[in-house]
Amino acid sequence: MTTGHKDYAVVIKNLDYSIDDVKILKDINLCVGRGEFVGLIGPNGAGKTTLLKCIGGIYSYNSGEIYVNHLNIKHTDCKKVAREVSLMHQNTHITFPFPAIDVVLTGRYPYLKRFETESSEDYRIARKYMSYTDTLKFESKPVTNMSGGERQRVLFAKVLTQETDLILLDEPTASLDISHEEQIFKYCNELVANGKTAIVAVHDLKLASRYCSRLVLMKDGEIISDGSVEEVLTPENLSVAYGVRAVVYKNRITGLLDFYTHKLEHGKSRKKIHVIGGGGSASGIIRQLFEYGHEVSTGVLFPGDSDLQCADVFGIKTVVSEPFNGISEQYFNKNVEYIKDADLTVLCNMPFGIQNIKNLEAASFAKNLVIIEDDPPMSRDYTCGQALKIYEKLAQKAIITTSAKLHEVI
Amino acid sequence: MKMYNQNELGMKEEVFSGSKPKHNAKKKIVLPVMLAVLVLVLILATAIGAVYIPFGQTARIILKNIGLLKNATFQEGHEEIIFYVRFPGVLVAALVGAGLATSGAVMQGMFRNPMADPGILGVSSGAGLGAVIAIALGLNSKSMLILPSFAAIGALAASYTVFRLSKRGGRIPVLTLVLSGIAVSMFLGAMTSIVLTTIHGDQIKEYLFWTTGGLTARRWEHVLMAVIPITACIAILLAYSRDLNILLLGEEEAQAVGLNSTKTRKILLVLTSITTAAAVSVSGNISFVGLIVPHIMRLIIGPDHRILLPVSAVGGSIFLVVCDLIARIIPNPRGIGVGIITSVIGAPYFLFLLIRTRKGEDAI
Repeated sequence: MTTGHKDYAVVIKNLDYSIDDVKILKDINLCVGRGEFVGLIGPNGAGKTTLLKCIGGIYSYNSGEIYVNHLNIKHTDCKKVAREVSLMHQNTHITFPFPAIDVVLTGRYPYLKRFETESSEDYRIARKYMSYTDTLKFESKPVTNMSGGERQRVLFAKVLTQETDLILLDEPTASLDISHEEQIFKYCNELVANGKTAIVAVHDLKLASRYCSRLVLMKDGEIISDGSVEEVLTPENLSVAYGVRAVVYKNRITGLLDFYTHKLEHGKSRKKIHVIGGGGSASGIIRQLFEYGHEVSTGVLFPGDSDLQCADVFGIKTVVSEPFNGISEQYFNKNVEYIKDADLTVLCNMPFGIQNIKNLEAASFAKNLVIIEDDPPMSRDYTCGQALKIYEKLAQKAIITTSAKLHEVI
Repeated sequence: MKMYNQNELGMKEEVFSGSKPKHNAKKKIVLPVMLAVLVLVLILATAIGAVYIPFGQTARIILKNIGLLKNATFQEGHEEIIFYVRFPGVLVAALVGAGLATSGAVMQGMFRNPMADPGILGVSSGAGLGAVIAIALGLNSKSMLILPSFAAIGALAASYTVFRLSKRGGRIPVLTLVLSGIAVSMFLGAMTSIVLTTIHGDQIKEYLFWTTGGLTARRWEHVLMAVIPITACIAILLAYSRDLNILLLGEEEAQAVGLNSTKTRKILLVLTSITTAAAVSVSGNISFVGLIVPHIMRLIIGPDHRILLPVSAVGGSIFLVVCDLIARIIPNPRGIGVGIITSVIGAPYFLFLLIRTRKGEDAI
């Protein structure tokens, strides 16, 4: 049966799947092109596994259609489907002590007739993929005596031995340590580079964003976002899908996409809080206040400061000065404006120099001032005592605490 | 269509061995050895009895009567004792043992439960109820085929009921299957008791003989009755050994490589029901053969059904022939049913398995 979608490895139209009147998948429409590496993401219970099992022909869906390589899988013989699509399950507990190679050879089942025994070619194919997944060395070892990681790689070899154009993996990294976790994704990258198509249900958003060419975000049995990594992994989407406040940013050290998420909490009083920091002293404070749900602003910061990057990531109002110029009148006034507007101002455990002494002066406009003092101010003063004088004056009418105890004060 | 070769995958162009692994080769010796043991045990069990006839002579009598040996004469009466009295009984034991052990091995595989056997699915209870109905209606004396037919109908009806009860949305979860098997078994047991209250003295004796498992006075008719269904079903089951291996990896794992697990299990259930009913109708209820024989065999040769099934069949034969021999040589005026011997050996072994499982060890 042809679908008219010549370049698609998978075409799903209006797919519905329910168990005992509970709808697990609702009106799924998805087309996956050849050579795509699709990451299926979403919270637990979103329907990722169910969708994979429907595509793999394991669940018989209620309505809609699924085509794999133009074959309507509902009306195609099981063995024929298994020559087009292979699926690696999430939890595979094998209770009987089969040697690894026998498990891998089950991948040849769809190619064998009932009375046919495995040929030496089948053994060769099995060993090829066992070597690829680094499991050939224990081909005679019973799978019941293997570690979770070893077994997972044996099962991955089995999936490859099935030699299908479409490969479905359900949480392939669930029982793997970090070195093998990456490996499976690298294998998939190589496979799709050679014209195969992979759809992988994955929890780890970092891995997904690094390796997948496309992401599909699911929630409650529906696809809520579908596209490139940048299109799908937006704070808005993550907040809808996972119910968290999310921040997406490029990790400064690795250059890779990274996520900060925080579970949404409701019913807490929101305060306006201004943070005076710099030199990295404000980052942890900003995150803490953000998590409590307060409306945070900060200033004055200088370009290149890691605090500024942090402010960017959390998307808060920031006063930024020009580099190496000290704080001009214009930025000072803006900062004071924020401070006057805020219910509370936090002065971080920052070093004082000629460049930022005006931030200290601005702090005196605060309605309520909290001073974070992790290290004695003397050790942070680079102005020969000038800043200390202002600091002492501020300290008289402020609450002094450490960053670890900040939550108690607020 | 496969646009893909070793080089593109970043693999060294290496030719991998296509030879079969050594762990399979070693096990191939087990089957011929066991077949040889079976032949010896068959002759030995035929030779031993109230009148002892020497081993060599027994062998020659059998060979002569199946047309492999000509021009031999024997002491008067010995030919009749060996070939028409003892040998059919021993053959029935061998067939029943093979049938029950193979059914047990298949059930353990298809339900991924090393504790499964024909008893668990209500197959034996169904056969039992069928047999009791035949006895109660007094049909048993009319034709030798009545009781086995009733037993077969009962077995199939029971397994079909269990199968339907446990089917949920086109799939059959193992747990519901085993639970409905137990429930149906209990129900059929109660029905059997009800029927038993309505029957009288002679029939109860007949039932008792049947229910404790008896192989005495089995004649060539019994052999012929059992040989066709049992050997045919075992032959078909052997053809499904690869499918059974795959079912062992899990229902969904099986479906992922293109095995229709629901359909396959239906076929396997029918085949094992017929085998069990055929065995049960010529020998009565003989428990534990289907449980312990595949277990011991699995310990020796591993879980691969392509070797496990034939080895279990032969092992079951040896086991039951030996148990029958023990039952015959224990001095007892009324004779002890072979089912009592298998239970006396089987129940402690079953408990041993349970204790080992409880200790967290592998029960297989």
